[in-house]
Amino acid sequence: MIVLEVRFDVLLPRRKADLVKSLLPLLERERVHAYALSDAGFGTDPFGTDRDLLGFGYALGYWLHQHYFRVLSNGHEHIPKRGAAVIAGNHSGVLPFDAIMLAVDVFRFTDPPRLMRFMVDYFVYQVPFLGVLFRSLGQMPGTRRNFDGLVHEGHIVGLFPEGAEALGKPAAKRYELYPFSHGHVELAARYRVPVIPFGLVGAEEQMTMITDLRPLARALRLPYFPVTTTFPWLGPLGLLPKPVRYFIHYGEPIVIDPAALDSVEVRSREVDRVREAVADLVQRGLEQRRELDSSGSQP
Amino acid sequence: MAETNKIPTLKAAALVNPLESPTPGTLRAGPRRIFVAGARRRVAIHLIERLLAAPEVDLVLGVDRGACPPALLGCDPERFIFATADLSKRRQVDNLFLLDRLRERPLDSVVHLAFQGNPRGYGVESHEFNVNAARHLLDASLRHGIEKYIFLSSDAVYKIGPRTDYKVREDGELNLDPEVHPILRDTIDAEFMCRAKMDRPDCEVMVLRPSGVFGGGVLSGVNLLFESTPPVLPVGFDPMINPTSKERLGRDLMLGIFLHGKGVYNIAGVTVGPLSKFLEERGIRPIRVPGPALGLVNRMQRMLGMTRYHAGFHPKRLFFSLVLDDSRFDRIFRTNADSVLALARSPDPVRPG
Repeated sequence: MIVLEVRFDVLLPRRKADLVKSLLPLLERERVHAYALSDAGFGTDPFGTDRDLLGFGYALGYWLHQHYFRVLSNGHEHIPKRGAAVIAGNHSGVLPFDAIMLAVDVFRFTDPPRLMRFMVDYFVYQVPFLGVLFRSLGQMPGTRRNFDGLVHEGHIVGLFPEGAEALGKPAAKRYELYPFSHGHVELAARYRVPVIPFGLVGAEEQMTMITDLRPLARALRLPYFPVTTTFPWLGPLGLLPKPVRYFIHYGEPIVIDPAALDSVEVRSREVDRVREAVADLVQRGLEQRRELDSSGSQP
Repeated sequence: MAETNKIPTLKAAALVNPLESPTPGTLRAGPRRIFVAGARRRVAIHLIERLLAAPEVDLVLGVDRGACPPALLGCDPERFIFATADLSKRRQVDNLFLLDRLRERPLDSVVHLAFQGNPRGYGVESHEFNVNAARHLLDASLRHGIEKYIFLSSDAVYKIGPRTDYKVREDGELNLDPEVHPILRDTIDAEFMCRAKMDRPDCEVMVLRPSGVFGGGVLSGVNLLFESTPPVLPVGFDPMINPTSKERLGRDLMLGIFLHGKGVYNIAGVTVGPLSKFLEERGIRPIRVPGPALGLVNRMQRMLGMTRYHAGFHPKRLFFSLVLDDSRFDRIFRTNADSVLALARSPDPVRPG
């Protein structure tokens, strides 16, 4: 029933505006209007970000952030108020609700509001509607030039150095970090932008992965095809995540040694620094969750 | 033959010190005498009209198959010559450079706009024409001492898909898929011929890749799509584009002719936006069909005379964004537009804002 209502609103702009109004408090609506979008001619920026859809997406994301996942976050002071930065951390949860919550969190708690741009897997842009939606929300296909463009324009770029594979992490490997790719360090070094590590706790419990049907994933050109405790048994409803609480911790900016561009050893060392920082922040999130559990608050 | 009319040879050209090559973006000295191949095209007619309005232009030679277009019939015969020729014939191309009228005032610039880009009925004859015309025109230009050669290519040469960058630079991946439409293969081949000659010190060879061109009667993909009744688009896709206009393209070509510079350049419009917004702005309501049915519906539309747009020419064009990054052209040419007298006086600025 809820799904039908949302789709109906997507189709009708007036209803969409009403939905935004009902989901977003006035102050948050003002934040959307305050977001500095460099208009390339038709109300979209050169990357295709659309203010109307951004407001709509933020409204839905805000509701999830505030009421569904009840996100607790800290360390926002480490996110620069202006200029480019790379935000990198752990990835999990079968479906990328963690990325949505991060983007909402950064938008909500930065002043002026900053839109986090993720480097998204290409397959998203082959899917009708989904590709347009992602682009309209400011999320870009993960190419080197797109990264260059975003950094050049002073945006915050979100990266998951574990890769999309980490989304399909089995339950036995919860909160174990997969090896980090080197790209984020190399790019940060080249543009002399800081890497802001984050640790996200909660997403691992939103869905429990049983297995990955790789042949089907290949046939459907998806990075993985999850079989969880609820999907595909409950149909599309099985993709609905459990309403677990998220804990996000942002760490101090890490300045990457420019020598990482010339030396594999230095680059590996810098990647390890980022990975260790992320692991510490994940531990901090787990401790916070344990404390909350022991104090009797609802997890 | 007078000493001044000697055709520069390759040997003589090789003596030119490349270190003394002019700075890109600076004004070429002297009046211009320009050969415009494909003079019956809308873009060419517009360009010729603009060129003839410029005092720096001494002479324009318009060449095409068939009669002179009516719009150019009233041009000053002292400054405009129209010649009918088949550019795919080497002898005919050579003869154009040897016209009596040009003996005292030889040509110095060639603009190749004669590339046949209409996918409708593109057969062996069109293919032969495109390949041979590109080759003969370039060869003849180099033999006859042309200082500037411009080939108008297309943005369709770029490979597009979900991995396409938000802005495609000149070094973007080309569509070298053997299954592509023969026009694209021929366009890329013609570009390669130009690229092979770009190191020549005596002739500045330029390839311009324009984004889709708007303008009445212009045979560009985006224009034909917009002229369809109605345009048919795939459901769930809305690519970003930055089309240019016939007028802006004309100005960009003039800059290419008047200013020093060689190489491959993208040229595009000022506005970047989703295709649907461009349609909306013009009050055009497209119909949307599932992606796999697009080709079939387009074929039916063409059979019924509802469109001249050919979806099979660049099949992914309506699915994935293609925004050209023309900052290089902007930096070298448009920023120096004021040095071209005709453009400095022009009421339509070439730079946004």
